[in-house]
Amino acid sequence: MSADSAAKTTPPPVVQVRDMDFCYGASKALFDINLEVKYHRVTALIGPSGCGKSTLLRCINRMNDRVPSARVTKGEVLVKGKNIHDADVDLTQLRKQVGMVFQKSNPFPKSIYENVAYGLRIHGEKNKNALDEAVERSLRHAALWDELKDRLSANALALSGGQQQRLCIARAIATLPDVLLMDEPCSALDPISTLKIEELMSQLAREYTIVIVTHNMQQAVRISDFTAFLHLGKLVEFSPTEELFTNPREKLTEAYLRGTFS
Amino acid sequence: MSPVSITENPFAGDNSGIQKRETIARWALRVGSYIVVFITVAIMLHIFIKGAPVTFQSKWPFVNTQFLTELPATLHVIEDKQGNHYETDVNGADAIKKKLGDNFRAEKTISYSGGGILGPIVGTALLVIVSVGVALFLGVACAIYLSEYAKHGKFLEMVRLAILNLAGVPSVVFGLFGLGAFVLTAPVFVDVPADRSVFAIPLGFTTLSFEGWDTCVLSGGFTLAFVILPVIITASEQCLQAVPQGFRETSMALGATRWQTIRYSVLPFATPGILTSSILGIARAAGETAPIMFTAALAFKDKLPWQKDLPPLPADASIFAHWEQSVSRFLGIFTESVQALPYHIYTLAAKIPQNEYAERAQYGSVFVFLVLVASLAASSVLLRKRLRAKYRW
Repeated sequence: MSADSAAKTTPPPVVQVRDMDFCYGASKALFDINLEVKYHRVTALIGPSGCGKSTLLRCINRMNDRVPSARVTKGEVLVKGKNIHDADVDLTQLRKQVGMVFQKSNPFPKSIYENVAYGLRIHGEKNKNALDEAVERSLRHAALWDELKDRLSANALALSGGQQQRLCIARAIATLPDVLLMDEPCSALDPISTLKIEELMSQLAREYTIVIVTHNMQQAVRISDFTAFLHLGKLVEFSPTEELFTNPREKLTEAYLRGTFS
Repeated sequence: MSPVSITENPFAGDNSGIQKRETIARWALRVGSYIVVFITVAIMLHIFIKGAPVTFQSKWPFVNTQFLTELPATLHVIEDKQGNHYETDVNGADAIKKKLGDNFRAEKTISYSGGGILGPIVGTALLVIVSVGVALFLGVACAIYLSEYAKHGKFLEMVRLAILNLAGVPSVVFGLFGLGAFVLTAPVFVDVPADRSVFAIPLGFTTLSFEGWDTCVLSGGFTLAFVILPVIITASEQCLQAVPQGFRETSMALGATRWQTIRYSVLPFATPGILTSSILGIARAAGETAPIMFTAALAFKDKLPWQKDLPPLPADASIFAHWEQSVSRFLGIFTESVQALPYHIYTLAAKIPQNEYAERAQYGSVFVFLVLVASLAASSVLLRKRLRAKYRW
């Protein structure tokens, strides 16, 4: 009991990246990364284009496996305390619990309902009531329920860009993941849709752990609790967002924040 | 810098011949295009003018039903002393001769030119069904593997090279391959292997004997399937590649396995395209002559594939009471050899003496054939247009 409560007061990080090197074929993309993502916090990954933010993000749910010859060459990635490269890790279970939202909103050309229910269906949920419930819950969490509850059977492609992206978020959280990875989710959206998604993220952070890649530094300030700054495949600085933006420890971080280079 | 006088044209072309060459090039290209159009129109018009009168008629029901619903037969032409010609079949010939009596002068028979072309139409339809079924299964499976599973590398390049080469194989070679592989050596289940069996594997209750399927719809259909396989594989692969990568990524990121991803978020969006392009495969399969010459087609057959001298099923019984027999009789259709339109046209054009009566059957067959194939191609184009509008992402 006491051990349990002790664990509650200091919950272990949900994602731990330890001394990780990552290569695409012969070229190294990430060098010696160390990162800890805390439960129910928003962690932002910032840095110039090509610095490896997205690659790092995709290491967490092993989406890089899709790229031939891409692999982790050193170190390890732990999610919920388990090394995700262990042989007994089932990729489908890992990805069920580590959801992902992509840069380009890409709903399937199916109904809104089917889009949200997709994750549950592929994991074998057949019960209509359970599906209905999950769809409603996910759409509510994604702040879409009131807008869409009367047209669940409409084609998802008929929605606006912002709605489509929120639908993708609803689809990703339908399987109740612990971690939600977001790869520049607002980069293709107008400012108002962006604002809505940012509001949504601060709400979602109460129930999910969010790791977000963003190009927009103001966005990182607005929504994140922790920020990691990457440059040329190296993690330069990782600290609470306020600290990193107001009082960066590294010269490189400061230069980037001031816009001396980008 | 003195101002140029108004009368002088500052943009006058030099006489280096650039303009002349431009005109020549444009006209050469234009004439080339016109020749293509002219040839197409000429073929179509010729067939239409000569063939349409055979297929259509001025009286109700406007279509020459006899031509479309009867089997080919020998045409008897009887001439009387006044020079009148009577066209009839073998039964009508005697009656007319009797009626004419002394007035009878001469009788001509022209093979295959009487009756209709139902046999070839049915045969072609059966061949197309079998070949497209086989080719779609193999082709789509291959395309999915190549597009979704196979790793880029030497093996993939080899497979693609193989497909490319398969597309270049002359169709008569396919015909000979079909003769060797399907007609003479394909495996069948028999109780007692025939003498010609290449080898037989006893299975206890029956024997798997590699003695071939004989010339039949099945052999021809499989052979045609290989002819259209490259078309289907290439088209299917393009359709699969046209489905956005994002669908696959999203599906995988939600924890779907590769097959689930293909099954639920790739195939549904590629299927319409695959089906439309396979219609073009149908047109190709229907049109090939050489592959079926040795494997399925007969020059003449006076029965449809389901017309066999079998005892009728007991009258009281429903189909279900004798389903085993019903099924085996149904499958028996595919183990018959048939007539087919392209081969029938070849027979009419090359195997019988040419005269005005033969010409009638020739142009009629070609016209019907052309209309069938053209409508398949047209429906494919239309379908694709509609689906393109429906699926946009």
